[in-house]
Amino acid sequence: MKPNRRITPYLFLVPAMTVFGFAVLLPVIMTFGYSFTEWNGYGPMVFVGLDNYVKAANDVLFRDSFVHVLLYIFATIVLEVVVGLVLAGLVSVRRQGSLWFRVAIFTPVMLPMVVVAVLWAFVYNNDFGLLNAALHSLGLDDLQRVWLGDPATALLAVSVVSGWVFAGFYMTIFYAAFSQVPAEVIEAARLDGAGEWQLFRSIKVPMIRNAITVALLLCITGGFQGFDLFYVMTNGGPYGATEIPTTYLVKSVFTFGNVGYGSAMAVILTTVVVALGVAFTRANREKSEKVQP
Amino acid sequence: MSLAAHSRSATRLRLPDILFTLALVAIAVVFFFPMLWMVFSSFKSNSSIFASPFALPTELDFGRWVEAWEIGHIGQYALNSAIVTGASVLAILLLGAAAAFAFSRYRFRGRNLLMGLLALGLLLPLQSYFIAQSTMFTDLAITDTRWALILPYTAMGLPLAVYLLKVYLDAVPDELFEAARIDGASDLRVFGSIALPLLRPGLATVAIFSALASWNEFLLALLYIQDDALKTIPTGLLAFSSRYVTDYGLLFSALSIVTLPMIVIYIVFNKQIVEGITAGSVK
Repeated sequence: MKPNRRITPYLFLVPAMTVFGFAVLLPVIMTFGYSFTEWNGYGPMVFVGLDNYVKAANDVLFRDSFVHVLLYIFATIVLEVVVGLVLAGLVSVRRQGSLWFRVAIFTPVMLPMVVVAVLWAFVYNNDFGLLNAALHSLGLDDLQRVWLGDPATALLAVSVVSGWVFAGFYMTIFYAAFSQVPAEVIEAARLDGAGEWQLFRSIKVPMIRNAITVALLLCITGGFQGFDLFYVMTNGGPYGATEIPTTYLVKSVFTFGNVGYGSAMAVILTTVVVALGVAFTRANREKSEKVQP
Repeated sequence: MSLAAHSRSATRLRLPDILFTLALVAIAVVFFFPMLWMVFSSFKSNSSIFASPFALPTELDFGRWVEAWEIGHIGQYALNSAIVTGASVLAILLLGAAAAFAFSRYRFRGRNLLMGLLALGLLLPLQSYFIAQSTMFTDLAITDTRWALILPYTAMGLPLAVYLLKVYLDAVPDELFEAARIDGASDLRVFGSIALPLLRPGLATVAIFSALASWNEFLLALLYIQDDALKTIPTGLLAFSSRYVTDYGLLFSALSIVTLPMIVIYIVFNKQIVEGITAGSVK
């Protein structure tokens, strides 16, 4: 039985709800309101109805930014989730004594993205960068590029950095999921003569399907919210080749003072992320049981 | 969230052991190499960074590290990060635990609505509120103060904190609370001396992912803090890298200073961190 006292629960809730309401909910509502106006942030605010949304729909740069982020998300699904799954598979073949390996792969997750971005800007540097130097010492000078300065490679170069960081993150999630696969199941398959690869492909991966769904959700919704790496490494360049919605809307609002238009783009982006989140959660709930981390 | 460690029977590997280990080592080296290169380069001069990028440093001179820490303000940025992170985490733990307690132990009008609003916070991306938040903070003149970071970091951390802590509290049998109440303990006392101690493992998990999120947050810090004396590590490092744009040794020293403690922290607390980060993500 739960007690039913009038004010007490509200007293416990007031501090949290005040901070959350003030710093998150209220600005969400205000951003939504701004999206119907033309406003530079301090002058008069003019109501313009749906104009900003019409403008966004016809804005080639905004559309391109969605194309870029979709390409980025596709690349990171491979470089983060798939690579993470394979790494987790490798580590889970032999569970003991893998701490050093997990430390090496997981460490980047702990670092501020700015640190990662500055470090990798050096790795890609065309004068002394690690990548071009490595290609040179392998005699592959033809493959050397100005990685972040070339529109053909910049987006992939940023995606690789993202993969470097988050492969370890997904490896950790999958590793935890793999260790919940009952040992008897694996033993039985081994007795039937299944090899490690078969075991991975036909037993372990299917058994952690829920964890994989969650990982995909995180990778996709996280991808739409990407900012740090792009801002520090390319800030949308070269020639807009790595402009993603967030860098574009930050520029619109904070460089060009288009608060109204930026807000409309923010609302569109929010709608996409929330819709995906809800859809995935529904899909996962319909499946039998939830995977606990 | 038990990482149920199933009995691992000694299994016979198809792959020869040594080859397998070598493969793991090779992967780890590839992953770790940029960080090794970073640390090595911090001990080198510009010319040797250019001339022989793979060479080991000739001497371990921490002079550049000291220079980055003191003259380059990395020390100041680290202190700012510690203050902002510490305050945010404390606030998240305290307010989050109180809210979780209310949701878990009481039935009251508006309960579902309030829980729904918080749950929305789990889905909402930063982009949904940072524009209006920045105009609000400018109007209230709290940009360029620590509050401009502590407030949003706390607000962003609360939904997940409340959700996780509520799960912990829901698992506590009612009798424990009832007994205390019959003994005449006030609600506040029940919260302070029964709920909080029971929540300790949950609070630790929440503390870890909140701390990492605050420590590493970049976008809001970039928008709200222009004063170099208040910058946190992410934005501070960015300012640092544009100040010393061609002094590579110094830049690598700053990167190393920021990176190495995180590696040590991970090695020491890897169990808790993995639990915290996976709980923080699988929301």
